[in-house]
Amino acid sequence: MLALYLAQAINSGLALGAVYGLMALGFSLVYNSSRLINFAQGELLLLGGLVLYSLSQAFALGPVTALLATGFFGFALGHILYATTMGVMLTAQPLRQLMLTVAASLVWQGAAILIWGKNPVKLDQFVALPPLRLGPLFLGGNTVTSLTLAVASVVILSGFLTLTRTGRAIRAVSMNALAARLQGVNPVRAQALSFALSGMLAALAAMAVGPQTMLRYDMGFGLGLKGFVAATLGGYSSLSKVFAGGLVLGVIEACLTLAFSADLKETLTYSLLVALLVLAPIQQGRRQKV
Amino acid sequence: MTRDLRNLAVFLTAVAALGAFLPGVHLLTLNQHLFLAANVLALNFCLGLGGQASMATGAFCGLGAYASVILHGLWPEGTLLIVPGVALVAFFCAYWVSKPLEKLGEGFLAMATLCLCLIFVNLVLTFSSVTGGSNGMMVQTAPTLPFIGELKGDRANFAALLVLIALGGYLFCALRDSRLGRALLACKDDALAASSCGIDRVSTRALSFGVGGALSALAGMVLANSTGFISPGQFDLGLSLKTLLFLVIGGPGRLIRPLLAVLVLESLLAWFHALGEATVLVHGLILTTALVAGYWRETGRLRLLPR
Repeated sequence: MLALYLAQAINSGLALGAVYGLMALGFSLVYNSSRLINFAQGELLLLGGLVLYSLSQAFALGPVTALLATGFFGFALGHILYATTMGVMLTAQPLRQLMLTVAASLVWQGAAILIWGKNPVKLDQFVALPPLRLGPLFLGGNTVTSLTLAVASVVILSGFLTLTRTGRAIRAVSMNALAARLQGVNPVRAQALSFALSGMLAALAAMAVGPQTMLRYDMGFGLGLKGFVAATLGGYSSLSKVFAGGLVLGVIEACLTLAFSADLKETLTYSLLVALLVLAPIQQGRRQKV
Repeated sequence: MTRDLRNLAVFLTAVAALGAFLPGVHLLTLNQHLFLAANVLALNFCLGLGGQASMATGAFCGLGAYASVILHGLWPEGTLLIVPGVALVAFFCAYWVSKPLEKLGEGFLAMATLCLCLIFVNLVLTFSSVTGGSNGMMVQTAPTLPFIGELKGDRANFAALLVLIALGGYLFCALRDSRLGRALLACKDDALAASSCGIDRVSTRALSFGVGGALSALAGMVLANSTGFISPGQFDLGLSLKTLLFLVIGGPGRLIRPLLAVLVLESLLAWFHALGEATVLVHGLILTTALVAGYWRETGRLRLLPR
């Protein structure tokens, strides 16, 4: 009986963990390029999902068109977020930039309420994959779809950052913005691109989470925060580790829900983050710059 | 008397005069604004002096409110011991929490303390037999002070909030001008240089964090008495975020401007509360404008605003 519950917990944990993983990737992209913790990351997911919902109501979207539309609008939303936050206050103190992302998340949430209302909307499953049985482990259709979307995103993003000139420029800015600038890289452009890419990842996360939990105007902050926990768990440095952090967090959360109440689960998850922040060996210098 | 203290006296006199003529409902609103102002002042100890961005305001405020209500329920005559006792507990909680978190930078510290706030709310929800859970708690007994009697009604709470802000403001100025305050400012300006000069950074900053936590707890006690009812929603992330936002807009380290920012912006936000579904959007736009305008004023791009 316990094995059955555990298998179910892993199934739901991986489905949500894939979403956390995508959010964590967005967080770490923005953090590495601009040393900013983006509070509006969750709202990128929300608006990306809601735009996709409206498109699906207006047009009959197939899997490919849905993916392309998600990618395009997510990219555009991320760019708009950059232009209205970091882009406006490039030389401001980090705390003021952080607070501007908080205010931006309010603006975006307000826009979502005004346009789509407060009732939750259910996003169609555009990329429907069959369930999968791996020995005692059963992965439902939603879980397989979420995992496939997320893993494909990690592979493509990894390829982009490693193999293309623009991707290498983003990595150079992440490592040392001043040295990258001396080599002819425009750090501002790299930061804007990181925001846009994180918007794309958030929209893909919305595509994965929308059919599972529906889209609600106030869901962004919670998911964004979980993405931050996952990114901290993964250590911000490597894409695969950050994504794995998301999966681990999803599974831990599902197991905690199995063992404790939902409120206690949240308490333990956030306690884990505080413990990680205090104990994890992230370079001191990098932290000071945030 | 320093210039800041003179300005604080003028500010409090103006607010007291305003409160004297306001009818009950408006006075209750003003009390809510002053409660937020007290919290901004509390956060100013951590951020303005020590350079630590905390989002745990809600947690310390809630700790004060819940502890005060529960203890007053058990011992109605114990105000003189309960109030300083709870403030002291909040001080030590904040002090010890701050120590391991000191090494984190602004952003990570903000996220860690944000988690503390969420943990507090979830614990309140979990231990519903003591705290009432999501249903909240009615305040059965008002604090009683010798010679004054029960602190009941909006006017009494208004006076209590004014006294709290006056006390906090005085303490802020006194601390800033002291040796400890200069050590805190040194930690804020350059942590490494401060350590090199022999300043015990962790303990020094923990002290300012503790004072901020205690002041938040006191504000929470007054809020509980003022509203007559407490629930986890009053001390959630919204309170912590708002407090930090107003302090950043007003300018950390300054005394009067953050308090003014609270009163002006909160009044403005309350004014737009009747907009229905557009409320959140308008609130976000107001806060964005205030943040961007503050940045432009600092960088000299907006010559019309006073620097």
